Amino acid sequence: MGSEILFFFEVVVGGLLAGTMYSLVALGFVLIYKASATFNFAQGAMVFFAVLSFVGFMELGLPFFLAFIVTIGLMVIVGLSTERLVIRPLMNQSEDTLLMATIGLGYVLEGLAQAAWGVEVRRLDLGIPDFPIMFIADAIGIFISALDLTAGAVAAFMVISLAVLFTQTKIGLGLRAVADDPGAASSIGIPLKHIMLLVWSAAGVVALVAGCLWGARAGVQFALVDLALKALPVLIIGGFSSIPGAIVGGLIIGSTEKVLEVYIGPFFGGAIEGWAPYVLAVFFLLKRPEGLFGEKIIRRV
Amino acid sequence: MSEQNNSENILEIKNIEVVYDDVILAVSDVSLDVPKGSIVALLGGNGAGKSTTLKSVSTMLASERGKVTKGSITYDGERVEKLNPSDMVNLGLVQVLEGRRCFGHLTVEENVISGAYTRKLSKSEIKSELERMYAYFPRLKERRKSQAGFTSGGEQQMIAVARAMMAKPKMLLLDEPSMGLAPQLVEEIFNIVKELNEKEGVSILLAEQNTNIALRNSDYGYIIETGQVMLDGSAKSLLNDDKVKEFYLGISSEGRKNFRDVLKESKKNKGLAT
Repeated sequence: MGSEILFFFEVVVGGLLAGTMYSLVALGFVLIYKASATFNFAQGAMVFFAVLSFVGFMELGLPFFLAFIVTIGLMVIVGLSTERLVIRPLMNQSEDTLLMATIGLGYVLEGLAQAAWGVEVRRLDLGIPDFPIMFIADAIGIFISALDLTAGAVAAFMVISLAVLFTQTKIGLGLRAVADDPGAASSIGIPLKHIMLLVWSAAGVVALVAGCLWGARAGVQFALVDLALKALPVLIIGGFSSIPGAIVGGLIIGSTEKVLEVYIGPFFGGAIEGWAPYVLAVFFLLKRPEGLFGEKIIRRV
Repeated sequence: MSEQNNSENILEIKNIEVVYDDVILAVSDVSLDVPKGSIVALLGGNGAGKSTTLKSVSTMLASERGKVTKGSITYDGERVEKLNPSDMVNLGLVQVLEGRRCFGHLTVEENVISGAYTRKLSKSEIKSELERMYAYFPRLKERRKSQAGFTSGGEQQMIAVARAMMAKPKMLLLDEPSMGLAPQLVEEIFNIVKELNEKEGVSILLAEQNTNIALRNSDYGYIIETGQVMLDGSAKSLLNDDKVKEFYLGISSEGRKNFRDVLKESKKNKGLAT
């Protein structure tokens, strides 16, 4: 009986830690959504583009940290060109137009990445093994992967720094103002293009970090683009505009999909973790469309 | 006007024409001056071109695909045509947009602070600026922690004005501050605007449909219709003008008339005496 409960905890903890990786991807979406109220369909492609370039630079002989910094620079350039070539010309168009543009941007990034670095699946070794940590296993009998634990720590770090950026800095205030009403923000002199540039660059860096963690687990390959769309149910549950929401949503999706897979999966012939999160998301859409932490839509009548 | 007089105007608009989307003519011929330190009212009905005129000054037109196609706008000795809204704020000109446009999800205090975005202030300087604004708007201090989206229309108008004043402007453009507010609140807001004008020395150009209260609180007024200035004069003379009374109060034996017709008639009868 004791080992049953222990196994359940192991499933939940494993799920929670895997969930932090969903949270990381979702964070990239939240950043863009906060500033332009658009679901950035290109985020998955950005994850792929970032990590593929990172691996590519390392293959060219750059050491780990240098490659990481060069890739950050590259993602800032991607953010800069996106702002200049896509966002700024579409600034005064409807949100739908911007949404369609991000879909197009996604395909362009996928194409560019593969044209530059080739299509074969790469291995990414972060030097962190995807194996259970033995002293934890010995002490409490739960098997936790070192990679999962690292991902959790990295996600926590990213979340805290972004939360500080949003709530404690002048740029964060400007960013939230732009998200609420770009016209009014511009009327008091907040430079929209700087804000957009910052947000797209930050989303690029988040994409790189998420890509590294996912790439280390699943290999650096095209499937990362679709994996990133797991962020959609995460955001529906957590709320599109909320950083804590992205985290909690990720944890909920991560843990429930693992628990469901292990305990209910066998009745459906397994592999329900692919679609179970979407069922949960639909439930949320019906009961609480703004998500757990999303901002309630304020409308004066 | 002599050279010297020119330099006393903080804003000079000369014969501007404004077109939206390359085809829609919104303003055909508007000229106006705002002397330094004064309050000037721009009056007229819906669609007369008041907002468009203000937006061409603050250069917010571009974001609505509008363009000044003729004439010139000079603010504080500088032509505004090549500038953007951010430049204008840096030069000390801030527009309070029609409909208040507060940041609904930010608190009242965050809204007001956001107005100082372009100024390089330390935390303590922001704090003292904030207190200075709260002295004009004590109501906002009471509600500082509320989300702006949940405050009343009057409070939102106060937030919008306080936010604009945080940029320490030399000139404010107010677009319909009375819109949708109870008469008592309108009175309160105009009193504060007048106080800001006197104590902070900020010049004000305000667009209003509420002719009566606007003129009672201004130095000079321009009446525009279908994108043209129809009449201008000191606020006092406009308030006592029979034509203005007739049109805006609707007192006429033949019912309401178009202001243009009122002018035509008076021209026919005894000439336009303004």
